[in-house]
Amino acid sequence: MVNLKVENLSKTFDKKTVLNNISFEVMDGEFLSILGPSGCGKTTLLKILIGIEAPTSGEIMKGNKKITNLDPSKRKMGIVFQNYALFPNMTVLKNVSYALQLKLKNKKHAETESIKILKMMNMEEHLNKYPSELSGGQMQRVAIARTLALNPDIILFDEPMSALDADNRLVLRKELKKIQKEFHTTMIYITHDQEEAFSLSDRVMVMHDGNIEQLDKPNTIFNHPKNEYVKQFVTKHLVEKVRSIEKCTGIDL
Amino acid sequence: MKKRSKLSIFIFLFIGISVLFPLINMLLQIDFSNGNFQKLVASTAFKNALSHSLFVTSIGTILSVCIAFFLAYALNRTNIKHRSILKVLISLPMLIPSISHGLGLINLFGVNGIITQYIPFNIIGRVGIIMGSIIYSFPIAFLILDDGFYYIDNNLYSTAKVLGMNKWQTFKKVTFCYLKKPLLSAFFAVFTMIFTDYGVPLAVGGKYLTLPVFLYKEVIGLLDYSEGTMIGLFLLIPAFISFVFDTFFKNYGNVDNNHPFKREENKGRDILVSIGVYIILGFVIVLLGSFIYYAFVENVTLDKSFSLTHFNYVVGNNIGSYIFNSIFIALIVSLLGTIVGYSSAYVTARVKGKLSKFLHMFIICTLAIPGIVLGLSYTISFHNTFIYNTYVILIMVNIVHFIATPYLMAYNALLKVNQNYEIVAKTCNISTFRIVKDVIIPCTKNTIREMLVYLFVNSMVTISAVTFLFNSKTMPLSLLINNYEGNMMLGEAAIVSLLILIINVLAKVSVYILNYREERKKENYGIIEEAI
Repeated sequence: MVNLKVENLSKTFDKKTVLNNISFEVMDGEFLSILGPSGCGKTTLLKILIGIEAPTSGEIMKGNKKITNLDPSKRKMGIVFQNYALFPNMTVLKNVSYALQLKLKNKKHAETESIKILKMMNMEEHLNKYPSELSGGQMQRVAIARTLALNPDIILFDEPMSALDADNRLVLRKELKKIQKEFHTTMIYITHDQEEAFSLSDRVMVMHDGNIEQLDKPNTIFNHPKNEYVKQFVTKHLVEKVRSIEKCTGIDL
Repeated sequence: MKKRSKLSIFIFLFIGISVLFPLINMLLQIDFSNGNFQKLVASTAFKNALSHSLFVTSIGTILSVCIAFFLAYALNRTNIKHRSILKVLISLPMLIPSISHGLGLINLFGVNGIITQYIPFNIIGRVGIIMGSIIYSFPIAFLILDDGFYYIDNNLYSTAKVLGMNKWQTFKKVTFCYLKKPLLSAFFAVFTMIFTDYGVPLAVGGKYLTLPVFLYKEVIGLLDYSEGTMIGLFLLIPAFISFVFDTFFKNYGNVDNNHPFKREENKGRDILVSIGVYIILGFVIVLLGSFIYYAFVENVTLDKSFSLTHFNYVVGNNIGSYIFNSIFIALIVSLLGTIVGYSSAYVTARVKGKLSKFLHMFIICTLAIPGIVLGLSYTISFHNTFIYNTYVILIMVNIVHFIATPYLMAYNALLKVNQNYEIVAKTCNISTFRIVKDVIIPCTKNTIREMLVYLFVNSMVTISAVTFLFNSKTMPLSLLINNYEGNMMLGEAAIVSLLILIINVLAKVSVYILNYREERKKENYGIIEEAI
């Protein structure tokens, strides 16, 4: 079933086109990555999807409902940022239960629910810690738990692992995949990291200069790039990997 | 309508009524066509006042900035001991009205001063004005330069070393280069302060009339508002120039310095610098100490025995009501000013847009209005309204006079708080009000306390903004110094100065303790306000 539908979406800032008449669909429970270099329009797209930026033209449909001009609070979407945006004056548990408590108006219930989710994220040992006492990976787990607690239909991720080291990224990637399966939540994941996009996603959307260059399954993009740009973009990453292996091992691949 | 645009409109309205209306109204009343303006400018009295003002201000500014530079250098670049205590001592002169600095000088070096009663010399006149102005203004210049020194990244010095630059080259290419803006900023700020201050010259100037005293005498003595306004126009000029400079050249959003300067060992330098610092601060302490001496000695020249005569006189003359007036006004100004400053800063730092930029410029503009001109514009514009002769007008004028600095404190702090909190709140269906109350205010608690105390202390010491606006019922403590000093009751004036100093020190200390506790608490959960 189609969960989110974007139709002919455009955005211009002072005569500069950032999104150029783009259309795509996201299925229910799908993991979609939006991949592209900085300046390709992916962050603007995320802001429009979440509702903090208005498009110049075009429509966004969620299910059968038009949400183009709907307030962010009514879209049932959550967001996870690269810099976590955890509330520094609240403990891990409070960070997760805060919004839920306001919604349910029941502190105990909110806390029980929050603890359940934090357990799933392997964070039960850190409930009473403050964000500054956590590692980057732990903070990102709390941020994800905070979003999950409100049970959104779609979660948007804005380069959530860019600030983490390689090991942490690998672990969190696996966890994210697990959570997605468990909660069956639609996830839209913005990244410039191809490895991340290809390993996590059901489908990948390659963006360049405000246009969608290709939207397909990872292996289709890999094996059948639609145009020269996608081909260059995908192989560049591979070539870099090969070069680094060559450098380390001294073997000419 | 969105709540935030309502807030912007409210702030614009407040500024419109409290700043634009009185100023424009005052300026519109200047009649250039009837020849009065030309007559004033051509008069000897005016020419003298202007040249006197320019003379004392130029010398005072240069010396004040030099002293401040030396102190900032000593505290940032040498291993001088007890730095935090020295910093507190440097800020002491900011806790008393400018007229008290003049008064302290009279106590020491006046016609029958503690020192000058033994030597045939006194500093009444331009020397006194220059000395008083320096003491009054160097702490401000110090704060600007201290900040300037702090934000020079140590990596620049490491790089200079690697490149083989000698000390002089490093000073020229790194230190001085990065201090150019703070130095110019300090220069303009001090120039404006001295040029527009009338407290020091009124107390210690004698017959040496400066422009602000000229304005004060025209308005208070001769009730000539139109001539006062014309002089006010001249007082606005340096303030306006310094404002333009600051707007275009000063970087208001401070960057974090991740690599603080590493001080090198050099005992000889430390001893020399320490002697200099102790001499400067020793002078400040002697000046403040002279208040205690004057307050509790029967007569400085004739009978030097301990006496409570002055104290009893001050207490017998209803001092309680003046203390109440001052503290009441200062508390309300501090509270309302912080609310206005913080909410304006919230709009400009976190709700971007053209309106915010405009508002930002607007609030910083208030920095350029000298207190005495603002006070005059209020007298002219509000004398027929119900707020005249009430606390309301005193509170309003103080808020407008001092709002820019606490606004900038909040602006800088709010810029540093994670810009994504509001987005998270929106998606979680948490109202902006709630997120501000539950997250953003707790994250900027220390800044809010600094804002509160800044407004409190400044409302306690100001005389220029309120001098035309009080009546016998609303008169604040600071103006009492003016009265006593005018009647040569130096002991009584000293007691009032001491009172203001004590109240302000208490206010500062309580905020310091609260912030210190907060820091300790934050250390426990590791938040550094600047780095959220």
